[in-house]
Amino acid sequence: MAFTGNFMCTSFKKELLEGGHNFTNGGDVFKIALYDSNASFTHATTDYTASNEVAATGSAPTPYVAGGGTLTNVSPTTSGTTAFLDFNDITFTGVTLTAAGALIYNTTEGAGTGTTNSVIVLDFGGDKTATSGDFQIVFPVADANDAIIRIA
Amino acid sequence: MLSVSAGVSVSPAGVGVRTTSGRGFTPEELAKQCVEKIIAVSDTAPPAIRDQAVAFGDRIESVVLQYMQQVVRSDRTTVYNAINEAGHPELAELIRRL
Repeated sequence: MAFTGNFMCTSFKKELLEGGHNFTNGGDVFKIALYDSNASFTHATTDYTASNEVAATGSAPTPYVAGGGTLTNVSPTTSGTTAFLDFNDITFTGVTLTAAGALIYNTTEGAGTGTTNSVIVLDFGGDKTATSGDFQIVFPVADANDAIIRIA
Repeated sequence: MLSVSAGVSVSPAGVGVRTTSGRGFTPEELAKQCVEKIIAVSDTAPPAIRDQAVAFGDRIESVVLQYMQQVVRSDRTTVYNAINEAGHPELAELIRRL
């Protein structure tokens, strides 16, 4: 089953209302894991899975390892009546991989440790391949209309 | 009954993915990406403002590119010396000539 667009996991919406996710810089630790086109995420996805995750590859300082890469939070802000958040772009270097999408998940949800609570599923719009090169994920412009996660 | 609702949404555009094969990103590619992060101008902005923003972006890109190229050269010098001092002058020379 291929990726079918970008969406927010339902469990994440509930956990937001419970105060389980802290997106401030220095807050919770979010990771992004990459998957091939056989991954089958739905709105009901609640946790990270290693199933169909791309294999470990790459070279220091930022190889791709099982579980994915750690994101750098850009603290939430507002514009008008919309609140939004952002992450710094992330690059995996010296990798050979093909990915069709990704899962962002929280490893410290609810002030815990080692959690894998899913946040959003991202569809790359097809297979993206790097061969002995760099694989960079570019987050959208952080504004009220385009930011990766917004509350309007 | 009173209710309050708000739309929580993920960017419909999602994320962009950039890849390379057989090399890393060049300073030119990274400088362009850097400026795209720093400066964004709406397609519907008044032409005078849009033109100013574009011109400013071009200038910033030029400055960022210059410094990125210098970073590459400086880091290569550091790597050259580290490898040379480790007793591998031929390898160090190969890196210096990249």
